[in-house]
Order: sequence, then structure tokens, then C-alpha cells
Amino acid sequence: MSNLKVTTINDKDGGSNAVLYGVAAPTGSMGFRNRILNGDCRIDQRNAGASVTITTLNGQYTLDRWNVNTNQASKVSVQQSTTAPAGFTHAALVTSLSAFSSAAGDYFGFVQYVEGFNSADFQWGTANAQAVTLSFRVRASITGTYSVAFGNSAGARSYVATFTVDSANTYETKTLNIPGDTSGTWLTDSGRGLRMWFDLGSGSTFNQASANTWTASNTLRTSGSVSLVGTNGATFYITGVQLEAGSVASPFERRDYGRELMMCQRYYYRLKSEATGTRMGSLFCDSTTVATALVSFPTSMRTRPLSLEQSGTAADYMVIAGAANPACNSVPAFGISTIDCASVNLTVASGLTTGFGGQIRAANANAFLAWSAEL
Amino acid sequence: MIFKMLPAVEGEPQILARIDDDGKCRLTCTAEYPEFQAWVAEGNEPLPAEE
Repeated sequence: MSNLKVTTINDKDGGSNAVLYGVAAPTGSMGFRNRILNGDCRIDQRNAGASVTITTLNGQYTLDRWNVNTNQASKVSVQQSTTAPAGFTHAALVTSLSAFSSAAGDYFGFVQYVEGFNSADFQWGTANAQAVTLSFRVRASITGTYSVAFGNSAGARSYVATFTVDSANTYETKTLNIPGDTSGTWLTDSGRGLRMWFDLGSGSTFNQASANTWTASNTLRTSGSVSLVGTNGATFYITGVQLEAGSVASPFERRDYGRELMMCQRYYYRLKSEATGTRMGSLFCDSTTVATALVSFPTSMRTRPLSLEQSGTAADYMVIAGAANPACNSVPAFGISTIDCASVNLTVASGLTTGFGGQIRAANANAFLAWSAEL
Repeated sequence: MIFKMLPAVEGEPQILARIDDDGKCRLTCTAEYPEFQAWVAEGNEPLPAEE
């Protein structure tokens, strides 16, 4: 076999219309290679770079699409960090807030769930299961062996892979090959197609005796893996996370910011006021004290949202309708939703005119409205 | 944290307010919301709506 090295290939007239025969197209998809969303940690709708202590048990979202799943409150914080390796601007930083000794049943994971629609072509759970490759950049204050586990939605299939952090506080690139699972049930719809779990120090109940094998269990780590939560102040940075079909790690897939944001907004959408007086949706007045607004989402959400988040302060929101401009005296409340829009109920003390149209007006920059359809 | 019913609106789903430990409501939801369902499964009951 020869190796052709040339600078240019021209057609017979010296132009650039030469046709190449026998050049095979890549076997993998050229678009949406990376099934991890916000793998480069640029999107942080919820916290805009602020550190957040994990206080919600069994799943608290931090940076977009990244979740901390634990049964112990206030043991770690997560922050979008600008301490990033070459080629990246951001990373996710997990910090241990104490020296915690995990009991057997405790669990701590930095997790991303991949929607079944986005992992269906892996064909896991069938005889045609495809191998996948996980690559990422990691920087940790504790050297040693770490675990990353893959599992299905039922928690009945697990694969624990390990990687080694060789140098403290230094970014290293890791690549792991995971064989496809030919057993179990793996969702291929809008549910949890797969779970990817970077373990932070789960207890022995979740130990897998041997890494790199599929088991019919819900395991998360090997027994010798580092427990980040066991050291107060220990840090774990990660970015450039890519999960792709095949056994070769390709370069990190660069998606434009707008596209990545929209992909994240399928799971969580935060409408921010950003300034006093901005308008956040159109409404009509049901009565002299109640108005209903309708907000369209920028992209269809994964499922119909079932809740509305807001700042927690009624006076951050106002209704402007005709000459009236009263502040709310209750926080905006969830109304009803589809995957494409949601209604918001606003209440004021008085001053509205039934039937008037109007808008939600932000009283300050703290006002926001947010809907979740996370996995 | 507790959940409290908001006044019902005819033809609309029952909406609940989550009251955080500092007394603020940062989230409202339907009864289908998983966090509410998990809270109820622990044996809790939402407070009734104020008249």
C-alpha cells in the first residue's frame, strides 16, 4: 500500500473540479457524533456560573444537562469554571464540602442521562449492540483510579469503566471503550436511554467486583476508586465529554453555541428578564386581580413541563395592561402546558380590567420563569 | 419543605406551591410533578388552599 502525500489535486484543466473515486465515506455519523449535551460545559442557564451546593436529594441539575445524584445533602458543590484545558473555555467543577465517610448505601454521582432517541442507534439490548467510546478532559486534586458507570433506566444493567488521574491539578485526556450491551432493556424513546455516572464516592453497595464487564445490577464504581467526597476541599474538573458510536475517539464535536443552547432547552428553559422593565410574555386579564400569560418555548421540550420555577419574590413581577401597572402580590404560578408553550397565572391586589390584553413586566433583573422537562 | 394547594380554578388542574424552608415559594407544579409525588409517597399531605 502506498501513501500519497500531495499539496493539491487539480483537474485536467488545472481547476478544482477533480473527482476522487474509491474514497470511502466515514462509517460513523458526521453530524451529532457526540450524544452528550453541553459536554464542553458552556451552558449554565440555572446558575450563570455561580457555585451551587447540592441540597436536593436524588437529582439536582447544575450546569445544563449535568445532574448530581446523591442521597446526602450538602456534601458537594458544583460550579461552571473557566479553568479549562486548551481548546475549551469552560469546565464543570465539583468540590467536596467535607470529609465524608460514605456508608454502604450512600451514592454520589456527576451524571448525564442521554435521551433514548439519541442513543437508539447504539442498539443496546440487542444482538447488534454497538460499541461506544467515551472521551473527556479531567483535572482532579486527588490522583488515582476513578470510575465512570453506564446503566439503563431500570438500574438493571451496569458497566463500570475506570480511568486514572496521574497528576494532581493537571488536565489529562482520557479515552474509554465500552462494548455494547446485548442484554437488558434500553429505552429508545424520550425516556432515559442511558445513564453515564462519574462516581464521586458511592458506598460499597454499589461496588462492582471487576471493571469492564456488563452485569445485571446497579453498580457505580470499583472498590478501589477514589472517593472525592472523602476529602474536604477535593476538586474534580471535567469538560470535553464526548460519547460516540464506534471504538475510536474522534475530535470533540464543536457545535455552535446557539445550537447547543437550543438542544439544552429541550430539557430546561429559563426565560430571564436581565433588566428592569423587560417584557416576558403576553397576557390577558381574567379579572381585576388575575391575569393569564402564555409563553412559547424556543424549541419543543422533551415532555410537557409539570412545574414553573421563579425567583420566589412576588414583587419581581408586574402586570402591565392598559394604564395599570401593578406588581404581583403572589409569585407567578404554573398554569397548563404543552411541549411547545405554557400558561402562567399572575395575581395582583387590584387594578386590572377584565378582558384587557397586556404583558408580564419584570420589576427588576431578578425576575425569571423556568420550565423543566429533564430526564 | 412542604407543598400547599393553590385555589382551584374550574376546568384547570390543581396547582401546588412548594414552600421552601425559608418560607419562599420558588416552584409551583401539578400533582403529576415527580418531586411532589415522592414527597407524598413519604407520607406527607399538602396543606389545603387558603379561602
